[in-house]
Amino acid sequence: MRRLSAFQSGAFRLALIFAVIFAVGATALVAAVNVAVSRYAGHATDAALVDESQLLRGEARAHGPDTLGQLILKRQRIVHARPYLYLLLDPLGRRVAGDLPATAARAGWGELSVAEFTEPNEPSDGQVTVRTYGVRLADGSVLVVGRDTSDLTELSDWLRLVTLWSGLGITILALGGGLLIGGIFLRRMDRVNQALQRIMDGAQDDRVPPIGMGAEFSRLTRNMNLMLDRTQALMDGLRQVSTDIAHDLRTPLGRLRQHLESMRDLSDPEALECAIDDALAQVDEVLATFHALLRIGQIEGGAGRARFEAVNLSAVMERVHLAYETAAEDAGKSFDAEIAPDLEVRGDPQLLTQLFANLIENALRHAGEGAEISMRLASVDGAVTATVADNGPGIPDAEHGRVVQRFYRLDASRSTAGSGLGLSLVAAIAELHGAELRLRDNSPGLLVELQFPNEQRSIVMR
Amino acid sequence: MALKILLLEDDQQTSAFIEKGLRAAGHVVDACATGRDAIFHATDGAYAVLIIDRMVPSVDGLAVLKALRITGVKTPAIFLTAMDGVEDRVEGLEAGADDYLVKPFSMSELLARIAALARRPHLAQAPTIIRVGDLEIDLLKRNATRAGRAIELQAQEFKLLEYLMRHAGQVVTRTMLLENVWSFHFDPQTNIIEGHVSRLRAKIDRGFDSDMIKTVRGAGYMIDAPT
Repeated sequence: MRRLSAFQSGAFRLALIFAVIFAVGATALVAAVNVAVSRYAGHATDAALVDESQLLRGEARAHGPDTLGQLILKRQRIVHARPYLYLLLDPLGRRVAGDLPATAARAGWGELSVAEFTEPNEPSDGQVTVRTYGVRLADGSVLVVGRDTSDLTELSDWLRLVTLWSGLGITILALGGGLLIGGIFLRRMDRVNQALQRIMDGAQDDRVPPIGMGAEFSRLTRNMNLMLDRTQALMDGLRQVSTDIAHDLRTPLGRLRQHLESMRDLSDPEALECAIDDALAQVDEVLATFHALLRIGQIEGGAGRARFEAVNLSAVMERVHLAYETAAEDAGKSFDAEIAPDLEVRGDPQLLTQLFANLIENALRHAGEGAEISMRLASVDGAVTATVADNGPGIPDAEHGRVVQRFYRLDASRSTAGSGLGLSLVAAIAELHGAELRLRDNSPGLLVELQFPNEQRSIVMR
Repeated sequence: MALKILLLEDDQQTSAFIEKGLRAAGHVVDACATGRDAIFHATDGAYAVLIIDRMVPSVDGLAVLKALRITGVKTPAIFLTAMDGVEDRVEGLEAGADDYLVKPFSMSELLARIAALARRPHLAQAPTIIRVGDLEIDLLKRNATRAGRAIELQAQEFKLLEYLMRHAGQVVTRTMLLENVWSFHFDPQTNIIEGHVSRLRAKIDRGFDSDMIKTVRGAGYMIDAPT
């Protein structure tokens, strides 16, 4: 079996999906923060610009417009960090004070790019974006206040980087974790698959080791093992039956072969005819075994249920009683019946007839000379119950479950005639009718009890 | 009694075996291997009995018989089949078969059933009294007499005697008795017929020097007027 790599494991694929989801989520989160921070910083800048502008205009109103130029110069000097840039144009458009380029001269909000401000002794190379706020004063001069927003841009850029790296980091971590967990899973699953492979290769007694890691996995392996147990039991049964068929048919066929061989030496036509009849009877015996096997198979498959009808079980049993009474008498056994009249069950009259015939034949065959066989039918608590009992050697309690198996015979009855299928057929027919078959000790002898479902239940069952 | 019989059977070996057996018994046989041929022949020729294998190519036996019954062909028919399912027999009879024989079967069984079927039309007259020699049964009064002397019979014994007498002069097999007298459509492993027949024989033949019920070795029983 090809070994799977951790990349192909379900755990890894799950981790991959999670990583993608995490990455997308992280990106969205940081992007949202970015937007919120940028907007907040933008608002703060705008408010500061408006404040500065109002402050200057307030000064101008208090001390006269001419002082404004002086004030700007003074503020340019005081505010060392120089967050603000200024421009003051007189009504004629001439620069009075400030360091913003003349292009910034307009009322309201604006944005422009200027050379980066540096200390006088440092070289200036970069450009910075400046946000401006301009107002036209009462005398017609224009005052513009500006502020460098490159901090904001930097913040934005930085946040974008964080987003990228954190997304990448989370993805890599998730993938690594997935690979690790996938590996663990694979190792455990491999053990299970190896066990299954061994079982498929013929180690039928092997079982699947527990996966561990959770109740659901334990349940899975437990069910797998139960399934294997069941399959093995079925296979064993099947093997047993085929072996039994082969064995049980080989004996009569072998006998037949000897028989035919010895027939070659017969010259007397009458003896030959007799021998042929014998051989035919032996073939019929083998055919009867096949027939019974097929029948059991069909009945176990549920054949016949479609044709179920109301059957007068009393009449069926009366008929079986009448049919076998003389045979029992001739064999030196007594056979009596106590049958309550007109009890009905749902079923197949032919199969039910065969069921009771088989039980009686069984009793006739196994109970010795002078045995008493009895058949009863009564309604017990609303359930039609039939019993067939004898006072023969009976069947030991421990064997009750096994005698209904195909070809099963007690050691004591190995030498008697019969296919070893009679009770199997009885069990199959009982099962088809939903009837409960019970074997009991009749001390001495065997008592077979058959309890049919009462009508109510049998209707529900259909 | 020579009968004209139509045989539908696709397996050559089986067909040859059956044909040979029927001819040896003095019957005239037309054999065909497909359902279509069988329908053609059966609607055309006047046959006494149809023997139809259930599983044949083109049109299967069941369909052949249904088609024949629909077109009004009432010739008695026996189904031959390897299928002995619980429901197969009922299906066969519902399709219009008069008898049903599961393979493998013995030739004597088939011959006995053919004879029984060919006799059927006479039953339509539904006699209430059947006579064989000096033995007589009254189906209405359900009593039996031999040479005017009453014979006490139980219900099953009467049924057995009635069946034998209806087929007087014909061989009646064990399975035919099981099916028709006891409604046993399976083969019991105990020989239950023998006991019943010997009891019946004792009642009928006691006090008379001729036996009416004869055992036909390897085949079954036959009731006949003593000669």
